[in-house]
Amino acid sequence: MRRGMVIDLEKCIGCRSCAVACKQHNGQPAGMWWNRVFTPGSEFHGVPPEKGRMFFLPVHCQHCQNAPCEKVCPVDATYRHADGSILVDFERCIGCRYCMAACPYGVRQFNWEDPSQAMQRYGYQPGYRYGYPRDYRLQGRLVYVPLRPKGVVEKCNFCVHYLALGLEPACVRACPGNARLVGDLDDPQSEISRLIRENNGFTLLPEKGTRPTVFYLPPRRKEV
Amino acid sequence: MAQKLGWIVIFALMALGLVAWIFQLQQGLVLTNMRNSYTWGLYIAGLAFFVGNAAGGLVLSSLIYLFGVEHLKPFAKIGALTAFANVSAAMISVLPDLGRPDRIYNLFLHPKISSPLIWDVAVLSLYALLCLVYLYLLMLPDLKGPWARVALKVKNPREFSQKVAKALAPFSLVAAVGIHVITAWIFATQGARDWWHTGVLAPDFVAAALASGTAVVLIVSLVAYGLKEEYRRAYRTMTLIIAGALFVHLFLMYNDIVIHAWYGSAEHLDTLSILFRDYLFAHLFEVVAPLAAVILLLSERVRNHAGAMIASCCLLLAGILVHRFLLMPGAFDKIAFTFTPLGLQKHEWSFPIASGRYDLVLDTFVTKWAYFPSVVETTIFLGVVAFACFVIMAAIRELPIVDRVSP
Repeated sequence: MRRGMVIDLEKCIGCRSCAVACKQHNGQPAGMWWNRVFTPGSEFHGVPPEKGRMFFLPVHCQHCQNAPCEKVCPVDATYRHADGSILVDFERCIGCRYCMAACPYGVRQFNWEDPSQAMQRYGYQPGYRYGYPRDYRLQGRLVYVPLRPKGVVEKCNFCVHYLALGLEPACVRACPGNARLVGDLDDPQSEISRLIRENNGFTLLPEKGTRPTVFYLPPRRKEV
Repeated sequence: MAQKLGWIVIFALMALGLVAWIFQLQQGLVLTNMRNSYTWGLYIAGLAFFVGNAAGGLVLSSLIYLFGVEHLKPFAKIGALTAFANVSAAMISVLPDLGRPDRIYNLFLHPKISSPLIWDVAVLSLYALLCLVYLYLLMLPDLKGPWARVALKVKNPREFSQKVAKALAPFSLVAAVGIHVITAWIFATQGARDWWHTGVLAPDFVAAALASGTAVVLIVSLVAYGLKEEYRRAYRTMTLIIAGALFVHLFLMYNDIVIHAWYGSAEHLDTLSILFRDYLFAHLFEVVAPLAAVILLLSERVRNHAGAMIASCCLLLAGILVHRFLLMPGAFDKIAFTFTPLGLQKHEWSFPIASGRYDLVLDTFVTKWAYFPSVVETTIFLGVVAFACFVIMAAIRELPIVDRVSP
């Protein structure tokens, strides 16, 4: 079993619901974005870089099979789960940020200050809280905490805490275009293996040799 | 009087650095000027700088005991001492970079063998230990008075010390080359950062280290012994090592730049433009300052003045410090996730990163961040520099490092 994701760029409408749902569900502190969506080639999101040519690219942790972040972590805080996803142990991380230097996708985020302090700085209503409310341990390792400790690195955890409840990741459930699909990459008969095969699925930065488990299906022409 | 002032400055800088660090522990790394897109700054540049300065021990012990350059012998202890002081400073300068230094025990409980950072922790500790053993051995014949209690009881201390020092020399050479190579590998292994990902980084690191490490030994030797006639030959040898190493360093650096510039791939031109456009003055300084220092050191007139030699060495160290700092902009001023969007002829588009830091003016997502160390970062770094000076000065004051009567 190798858990992977496919994102159909033809269906993506660039609404950023995935980014918002991800942020809310995973209680990301102010300024953190595990998921982000942009319009490649243009200066601003949602602005066509060229008339008649516009597509959107949602990017979160690529859960690479040759993950530099996993290999550089000196304390094994960033590690690979049995299903192939890359997780961060909030109790183990020493905050050296080597993984952030190693990741070519820029998906890793650091808790520069206490999250409640950050919320104040951003001017949120006092006491406002959001996100999955309980700690989640996977085989003893703390892979989700609603209140982040200061000084540790975090990133997309493939919603392992929801997987345990039999739910799809927040971004998959929230996508209004139903552009995202999770499945088993090892099974050639699975829906996502079929989609990748039949629609020229591709990965990001293949030249870096990271072998992501997040695949993208190329968009056709987009109306503007 | 001047010496007293020196001690006061050193203690003040160390105290300020400590206070700044405690403040940073309290508030978090928000007090630095780093961002999610620019994750390493002065602290890690400091690691590279101090590791480089620790090369002095290697140069002297290997020259003396492996290549038989006897006239450097009076400076072997200073070499081992400066190496120890700098390698300790290197390890200390990483601590404030950690978000959770309280969890540092995880390095020993759960080390991951694939991480070059673990290799570095191991080799730096080993080197620090070796320097101490070396220093102890070389001081052994002179451990008298209160120190006699810790002296190993051997029949002929002087002979024993020389024999064991000679036997240890090959190991210390390997460990000393190791600290530079492995520190360079922390960066050079990272395929995500074009600026670092080159085979030349490790050899270049060794070359720059030989220059700066020897300069540190030369400064301390000049302060401790002055410009006596019998030491002139040794100073001349050190000067030649500095000059040779610096030329190799400049060659290796430009060799890499020329190769990438000629091929002209967009990623590499982007990276080089950071060095030659955004950081042009810093780059000129990292080249011109050490070069000028070496030319000065090679001139007979400068070598007639201890002060002029020390000033030249300091200029060289300043240049190398800027060189180490320039490890960062080339890696972090350019977003690693840069690509050509599907179906567009326009090349090289960078995917913005969440800055992770609230800023009234700045966007939430950024593609560029002009980093310059904050006051807290600078204060802590100066504190670490002061710590290295403190170790060297205190040891020279308390221990038989400097031979009081010339041999």
